[in-house]
Amino acid sequence: MARKAQENPALDMTPMIDVVFELIIFFVVTLTEAQRKDETIELEDGRHGIVLVPEELPPTHLQIDIASRDKRGKRLPRGRISMGDREITPDEIGRRVKERMRKVGEFPVLIRADYDVRHEVVARVMDACTANGIWKISFMATAEDKRSKPGHPARKHLDALKRRGR
Amino acid sequence: MARKPQENPALDMTPMIDVVFELIIFFVVTIKQEDTLSKLNANRPAPASGSSSSNESDTTVTIEIGRGHDANGVLVYNKREVRRSELDQNLREVARTSTKTPIIIKCTMDSPHKALVDALDICYKNNLFSVSIFSM
Repeated sequence: MARKAQENPALDMTPMIDVVFELIIFFVVTLTEAQRKDETIELEDGRHGIVLVPEELPPTHLQIDIASRDKRGKRLPRGRISMGDREITPDEIGRRVKERMRKVGEFPVLIRADYDVRHEVVARVMDACTANGIWKISFMATAEDKRSKPGHPARKHLDALKRRGR
Repeated sequence: MARKPQENPALDMTPMIDVVFELIIFFVVTIKQEDTLSKLNANRPAPASGSSSSNESDTTVTIEIGRGHDANGVLVYNKREVRRSELDQNLREVARTSTKTPIIIKCTMDSPHKALVDALDICYKNNLFSVSIFSM
């Protein structure tokens, strides 16, 4: 069967434009989603912990981020505590925990703290939770051994400290 | 001036393909792969309960965490500074007796968070899950 001669040889661009826009929207949405958390935080390895599936966390859970460095990499001796993308004080955490406790009862608290944060900062956050009735605290870690990969910023930092003999 | 009739009505795809490739390369480079995360649960006794000795049974295992000389912090078990691997061996012995053994981790205020997570991870590795964290 002979092929019908094309009446309109111009390629129909509509589906391609549709697909490209779909892709752009997808990437923009996933990117903003990823940016909502503090990117300066480097987690310690915890290969034996319970693997965390973010989708399976109850919607009532509370995640508290603790960074040890600012965006430029300068060390913050008192850390930076934040929730969502907003900086927060331990007192405020206490108030939030109390309020949520009243509304939904007990809920999981996840602390996403940098490996280099001083325990004091973590202790302050934990105390804000315990003072309002949350005794169980979960610490986030990485389930894979990425620290052992050469070239990882946390690994480089530790190597540099070792060389200086700190 | 009248418009010249198009000789070739097909759209030139080249610039569009260029742009699409540019976009794809941009996104591939900027997107960071998400890490697989894990969580380590622990109990935090109320700060008011103060001394832990009252509810400490003789089977309780205490791990102390201090600042140490490098960024890793130090782990102290049985009044002796131990390496991660040594603590692992010791806790394996503990777990052989009972995996229900309560573990207390005492952290000094200036110890790095890394050491606490390491200690918790070693506890989890040996199926010791009833861990409490104290701060000193």
